[in-house]
Amino acid sequence: MKKIMVAAILAALVLMPGCAKKEEAKPALSLYTWEAMFPQEVLDAFTEETGYPITYSNFDFDETMLAKLEASNGGDYDLVIADDYIIEEAVNLGLVSQLDKSKLSNYGNINPVYQKPFYDPEDLYTVPYGAGVQTILYNPDKVLLDINGYKDLWDSTLRDDIGVIANYRVVNGLALKVLGESYNTDDLDVIQQAGDRLVELAPNIRLIKDDNLQDDILSGEVAAIVGYTSMVTMALIENPNLKVVFPEEGIGFGIMAAFIPSKAPNSEAAYAFLDYIMDPERGAECFEYLGYYSTYKASDPFISDEYKSFLTLPEGFATNMEMIQNISAEANEKHEQIWTLFKNAAGQ
Amino acid sequence: MKTWRFRKAAAFLTALPLYVFTIAFVAGPLVLMVAISFLSRGESWGYVLEPTLRNYKGIFEPAYTAAFAQSIKLALVSTVASVLVGYPFGYFMARLSPEWRSRCMVLLIIPFWTSSLMRLYGWMTIFRANGVLDSALMAIGVIKEPLKLLYSFPAVAVGMVYTLVPFMIYSVFSSAEKLDWSLVEAARDLGASPAQAFLTVILPLTMPGLYSGIVLTFIPSMGLYFIADLLGGSKIALVGNIIQEQMMRVHNMPLAAAFSVVLMGLTSLCLLAYRKLAKTGELEGLIQ
Repeated sequence: MKKIMVAAILAALVLMPGCAKKEEAKPALSLYTWEAMFPQEVLDAFTEETGYPITYSNFDFDETMLAKLEASNGGDYDLVIADDYIIEEAVNLGLVSQLDKSKLSNYGNINPVYQKPFYDPEDLYTVPYGAGVQTILYNPDKVLLDINGYKDLWDSTLRDDIGVIANYRVVNGLALKVLGESYNTDDLDVIQQAGDRLVELAPNIRLIKDDNLQDDILSGEVAAIVGYTSMVTMALIENPNLKVVFPEEGIGFGIMAAFIPSKAPNSEAAYAFLDYIMDPERGAECFEYLGYYSTYKASDPFISDEYKSFLTLPEGFATNMEMIQNISAEANEKHEQIWTLFKNAAGQ
Repeated sequence: MKTWRFRKAAAFLTALPLYVFTIAFVAGPLVLMVAISFLSRGESWGYVLEPTLRNYKGIFEPAYTAAFAQSIKLALVSTVASVLVGYPFGYFMARLSPEWRSRCMVLLIIPFWTSSLMRLYGWMTIFRANGVLDSALMAIGVIKEPLKLLYSFPAVAVGMVYTLVPFMIYSVFSSAEKLDWSLVEAARDLGASPAQAFLTVILPLTMPGLYSGIVLTFIPSMGLYFIADLLGGSKIALVGNIIQEQMMRVHNMPLAAAFSVVLMGLTSLCLLAYRKLAKTGELEGLIQ
């Protein structure tokens, strides 16, 4: 009897997937981006509605993505979502295919603020998916002064109390901003000056990290952070008393965007997915999950009130913003050196 | 004659996959790395075939010499602490009854069933502001304000010692286990105090284990950069961090290769010193 039961269960297990398969499955959409870029419900619903299963691969750094894409010569992946500056490199290397906008019925939903960016000046290759700024967030219960800009971070009362993200262009950039310079200067002397300023900032730095910096301001480990929009959103949802500062020296701004690689094996699925997430309601769902600014104007009205102030750009905001772009190899090397010196000084 | 030749051929054929594997995946990448360290960087990625010594000069930038100094300092601190904790542990473990010895061994191995990353997160929970340690100290009234324990050099050193001390214990243990206790008894019978017996008999005889323990903690502690990142809040820049950053962020593969070559040189020096001091090439504890 037992044997028959076992056999029956085994048979059921073997046959079950076979029964479920009603029609021939469509080829999978190979999506390549960071972890946790979409709510699982949206991914599942896409597969259910269009029949394309999704293979989600992720990378930590944009550079890893570019290396993989170069190795496969623009193949292997159907849709990639990455940061602005790396897309410029990918386009220059010929790894990106031009979009056929006739396949994107929701293309008009994109907020024009995020169009014609430096990495795609004619909107030929990309669809933006979320944008963010670097802001200061601080706990007014623990910080004695009113922080208005990056220069206030040098204040001696903030000793060993600041957390910053681990992106050297952003952190070196805040010193450049204090000097009144551009993020993208190629002038090695200016970068060195910024480095000298950073060494003076180092005693105030308690923590340098890219993941979940909001946890450290919420737990009281640090009193102020320089973070990305998503961190600020998550921190404010937990603790609305924290104060957000758009630094008066200037605001660093970044866009994440999706593109279809030049030899994408299944570009049809990529178009279907892009159009799917640009749907107003679904876009709103994605941005609430992602915690970055909504890049689709049509989605803005669907963002719930709880999130609205975090996920849509304030009016008249576009002044004094600068995007971090690619710089010369020498300037980049200099940046790496002042960054390493800064970290060392902070660790003393 | 014929069988001899056949045997030789068979032995060669059996070992062939191993040779191929070693040449393709160990020697090959090493040669490539050394070669790249003498080439110029490419425009956006990789390298171009222009020989240069620039990369080795680049290592002497103050930023990078500071990182080497930091790495060596951390390695020294962790190694000394590992010796202080690990030597007595390994020594007394060898003196336990065989039954308790194996129990001890199992207890030492159990933490390895969990990923070391997970265990480091455990330390973060302990050190965090208002975390386990803070709350405990505040409850018994030792401190009033939370201490700033996490993201500091001591936190990194604790993480390093915690991760590496088992290697020290195993090495010392396997040396102490082989120790002929009758020699110690003889020393005591002939009037040596316990301290004298330890210094003149036990310590010299367990030296090979101590040396190999030092090698097994000193070398990895220069490269375990994720510990410095997690517990040090990325403020402690080790050579490992720089290699990773040069590769992944700056795209300067030749400079990263030069750093790796220098790091390997340092490691080889340590091993050479070990061979000279311990008069053997084998690491006690790992290779019995």
